[in-house]
Amino acid sequence: MKSLAIAIAAAAVAALPALGAEDPIAVRQALMDNNGTAAGVAGAVMKGELAYSPVVGKAVIYAVSATAAAYGDYFPEGSEDAARSNASPKIWQDMAGFEAELAKFQEAAAKAREIAGKDGPADADAFKAAMGPIFDSCKTCHESYRLEN
Amino acid sequence: MRRLLAILAAAAAAGAAALWVATMPRGLPREVLAAWPEGDAGRGEAVFWAGGCESCHAAKGAKGEDRLKLGGGLVLATPFGDFVVPNISNHPEDGIGGWSAGDFADAMLRGVSPEGRHYYPAFPYASYARMEPQDIADLRAFLATLPAVEGRQPGHDLGFPFNLRRGLGLWKLAFLSDTPAVTLDAADPAVARGQYLVEGPGHCGECHTPRNLAGASDFSRWLAGAPAAEGEGRVPNITPGGDLGAWSAGDIEYYLETGFTPDFDTVGGAMVAVQENMAMLEPGERAAIAAYLQAVPAQK
Repeated sequence: MKSLAIAIAAAAVAALPALGAEDPIAVRQALMDNNGTAAGVAGAVMKGELAYSPVVGKAVIYAVSATAAAYGDYFPEGSEDAARSNASPKIWQDMAGFEAELAKFQEAAAKAREIAGKDGPADADAFKAAMGPIFDSCKTCHESYRLEN
Repeated sequence: MRRLLAILAAAAAAGAAALWVATMPRGLPREVLAAWPEGDAGRGEAVFWAGGCESCHAAKGAKGEDRLKLGGGLVLATPFGDFVVPNISNHPEDGIGGWSAGDFADAMLRGVSPEGRHYYPAFPYASYARMEPQDIADLRAFLATLPAVEGRQPGHDLGFPFNLRRGLGLWKLAFLSDTPAVTLDAADPAVARGQYLVEGPGHCGECHTPRNLAGASDFSRWLAGAPAAEGEGRVPNITPGGDLGAWSAGDIEYYLETGFTPDFDTVGGAMVAVQENMAMLEPGERAAIAAYLQAVPAQK
């Protein structure tokens, strides 16, 4: 059921670019909500609350990869809006630093897809190993570039 | 008339003299320092992580062994001005390597420097004032085992009247105390331990409690969340009435250990360094913090 939810969220991500030109804040927030939902499934597996199956692992990794690929495109100059957005002004003051964090995220996602292969990571341990660097990149980016924590 | 003026002038002078004396930086009483305990560096390491010294005194974003290099230099930009974090490494001249145990105790518990000047409460001695002498002594012993880092940091850059250090004497008279921030009826030893850790060394209230106009914690809004001291954003309400309302004690422990919220969002901002310190504590200490946070008065 949860992987179905991810599939639907991933389909929604594919439909986002049309909205992006008009409202980049809405798009990046939808992307990160989608990412958070996938992270929640990963967390449930890591805590042993959800039985692992390779298809769940693959769905999580692909949902996160979609965010990694698209997320950086929705931070144009002037889209800093403290009333609506938790994005820190540091993103625009230090775009190179933000892009380095994005690159780390993309690299971790690409490695996770390699581990996933065609059928998904074989067991929960392989899945955790694939997700570890992705979660590390979440944390280091949130440390510098997110306002509310 | 002339006589009245003379009396008034004398009264004003006496008042000014009394104020001058009242705002003098004062260290701990001699008899307290005479009975000061021996420190144990091994025990002091846990105090160091609970106190989070390196969150401010190590280089920003330091990881691994670099977290133990306490050369300072971080600039805290606040509405009062820019505070420059000093070098507290074990360097004998540039750091605090040359301090006596008493110097360190006066700094931590009274906010007074070895030269007898007031420290600004950006150094959170208003929280550390609640710490046990043994923990202070142990922390001192641990800090003495850390690397010496060269380089003194420049002074703070503050606007008037905050650049008048003597005024801090008044601030201390009004706000510096070792009494608990909140009164809890629970006799649960875990809650009591958590209260010590959160209100004392952990100095959680320094960011999570709003401040009054004088920059002191507003105890009626204890841990109710506050504007971030530097820059934009808010520090969350961590009472049962706030952002953690739906969290179990286990959720809080897990967050402090791993950095993951119940939804598997990650810790961010200045809390990253704090969480990484909390992860170094014994599990029972994190459980005590969680028990206390569930016992404090709910704030909206």
